Amino acid sequence: MRLRTNVDAAPGRSPRQAIPFLLPALVVLAALVLYPLVYSLIRSFFDARGDEFVGLSNYVDTFTDPRTLTAFRNNVIWVVVAPAAVTGLGLIFAVLTERIRWATAFRLVLFMPMAISLFASGIIFRLVYEEDPNQGIVNAAAVGVHDVFSPASQYPGARPREGYAATEAGFTAARPSRAGEVITLPLIGFSPQDVPAQALPASVPSAGDGELRGVVWLDVSVGGKAGSVDPTERGLPGVAVEAVREGKVVARTTTGDDGRFTFPDLARGEVVVRLPSSNFTLPFRGLTWLGPSLITPVIISSWIWIMTGFAITFIAAGLSAIPRDALEAARVDGATEWQVFRRVTIPLLSPVLLVVFVTLVINVLKIFELVFVIAPGSVQEEANVLALQMWQVSFGTGGDQGAGSALAVILFLLVAPAMLFNIRRFRRERS
Amino acid sequence: MAEVSYVKASRVFSGNPPVRAVDELSLEVSDGEFLVLVGPSGSGKSTALRMLAGLEDVDEGAIHIGGKDVTNVPPKGRDIAMVFQSYALYPHMTVAENMGFALKLRGVPKTEIKAKVEEAAKMLDLTKYLERKPKALSGGQRQRVAMGRAIVREPSVFLMDEPLSNLDAKLRVETRANIAALQQRLGTTTIYVTHDQVEAMTMGHRVAVLKDGLLQQCDTPRALYDRPANAFVAGFIGSPAMNLKTVPITSEGAKLDGVIVPLSRAALDAAGGLDEVTFGIRPEALGIVPSGEEGMEMTVELVEELGADALVHGAVKIGDSSQRFVVRVDGRTPPTLGQHVKVAVRDHSEIHLFHPESGERLEA
Repeated sequence: MRLRTNVDAAPGRSPRQAIPFLLPALVVLAALVLYPLVYSLIRSFFDARGDEFVGLSNYVDTFTDPRTLTAFRNNVIWVVVAPAAVTGLGLIFAVLTERIRWATAFRLVLFMPMAISLFASGIIFRLVYEEDPNQGIVNAAAVGVHDVFSPASQYPGARPREGYAATEAGFTAARPSRAGEVITLPLIGFSPQDVPAQALPASVPSAGDGELRGVVWLDVSVGGKAGSVDPTERGLPGVAVEAVREGKVVARTTTGDDGRFTFPDLARGEVVVRLPSSNFTLPFRGLTWLGPSLITPVIISSWIWIMTGFAITFIAAGLSAIPRDALEAARVDGATEWQVFRRVTIPLLSPVLLVVFVTLVINVLKIFELVFVIAPGSVQEEANVLALQMWQVSFGTGGDQGAGSALAVILFLLVAPAMLFNIRRFRRERS
Repeated sequence: MAEVSYVKASRVFSGNPPVRAVDELSLEVSDGEFLVLVGPSGSGKSTALRMLAGLEDVDEGAIHIGGKDVTNVPPKGRDIAMVFQSYALYPHMTVAENMGFALKLRGVPKTEIKAKVEEAAKMLDLTKYLERKPKALSGGQRQRVAMGRAIVREPSVFLMDEPLSNLDAKLRVETRANIAALQQRLGTTTIYVTHDQVEAMTMGHRVAVLKDGLLQQCDTPRALYDRPANAFVAGFIGSPAMNLKTVPITSEGAKLDGVIVPLSRAALDAAGGLDEVTFGIRPEALGIVPSGEEGMEMTVELVEELGADALVHGAVKIGDSSQRFVVRVDGRTPPTLGQHVKVAVRDHSEIHLFHPESGERLEA
């Protein structure tokens, strides 16, 4: 009997036999990837309702729409800042955690944000960056730190009734005074309940020889006369008062518990009385994180928090694959730890760093949920990115799926080079 | 150029119980000497070398290089160069960059680096490969680059950690000779780690034998071979290994299979009070004798033909048990498998006696 040489069984020899094995995957790929891709491309050449061919006009509209241009600009900011920041942080953490005990536990904690959906993370960060310090932890921390270094003023918002000009330095009297005079300085715009407990009833001091005296009190208009000291009214203790001559502060004092102040040894000549603004500054309330100017940095920071764990995991794996000997050889060769890191670790790690970076770029180009969730409706225009714009154009108020498809195609073209780069890289590594 | 000394240096790895990888090692290496650290795997020889390099902590004791205490000095401050078993070349640098890296770190001018690298490359026959990456080199070439990297630095001590174990047998023998010659020429103090006792014997001016982190003996190759300090060294040095058997001892000598091997008066005195001794004899000190003469009965189980001579492995009855012996015989007339032969001691001066429990040499 003649032995059959089984050539057909050799790998890659028989397309006939290969087809049944490839078919299921082909069907799924065609239905879920190829068809939507081609359909989107075709759809992008039709109008909003999808029955009139409009050529490239959807693309032209896209590139002239200011909203889309903002989205483009934001996407550029994202791509420039976010992947580099995450790769850098990932590298730092991966290298540092390599040297500590409990490294795995630490990395696990940093990786955990990856386990939460972007949507949920977005909601968390929306709360974190809430403007009210009683809700948003960032502003709560900012206010706490700020108040340690510059304490809140005693009479925020209070102001003299009249005759004083509000300047940068404070409230400056319109009229000059001289020694021997008595100044009455009624303040308004402040709640009597907030007056310090040690405050005593106000009274106008008598004129003193060679001294400039005065009183600062809370002038409540209810049940009294505006501008004059009524019996029920109390002096305001601790108000800083300055005497200014030719733009220079020549004397400084603060009011007593009854609101009185005295400049004892004023030389002859006129001075202008001023209440410095430090008396009245409004309390620091933190920054408007979710406002139009900070919204993109805020969302990027949340994304960095989420993705750093991903970068650490990959980079740590790459680090552990670096031959220990090479690092030791460098140390024996006389390299400091920094030189070992710079000249050996980083070059050996660069393939991993590149893959992580490119993967993050792809991820960033497609960013959608975070922007959608974190940016309040009023600033979504400033925070806009391409994917969000695509969604809004397609399914939002416009409902123009033609223009949406055009955006989808543009997005695809932007992501494709990065994808190709990664695929080629993986293929080269395998060979 | 520098002398090296270990002063009761220990490396203890934490664990339960803690592992004393190197245990109170005391060793003096003089300037320009080629010292080989040899031992089976896990004997602590590599750890001892890495302690000298500064890659491993010294938990107890101290290490001096050139009279200076370097126990707590990082590797970069020790003026040493190391050749690793894996060569540990920098894969992203060319051969020239690999060899010049240490000089570059030291801030040596470029032209000087280039000259030194070229000189070393010439010495090692690497000139053609200077612009290549390590990936594009053969194992032997990589090994030479690793050597070159060490030479270019002109360090006071060379450390070599099994630099030949990744080479094939032929290249290994060749490179062995080259390294020894190179060391001779440069006159740099060299500490060389290997598990191969042939390498140790052929290369070292002195050889230090380690086992379980403890120094067993440190002496010239000749002295190690002739007067091993204990049964372990006796069994480790020499190929094939010495026959080491525990045998009963009488007032005339050692009893092997009914044959009494006479021992000198001094040897018997040294073994005084013992019923048994560890009896050691090298295969080359045994011989096959004609059947009529006195000798041990041996059944041949294996014959290894080496060309010039042959190694005969066989079983000999000692007491109730059957013990294997190896005998080196003339290569032209080896016995055949299964044959019964008579084996006798040819040279009585080559008998080594060791304490049966401690393994210490019984001085005769």
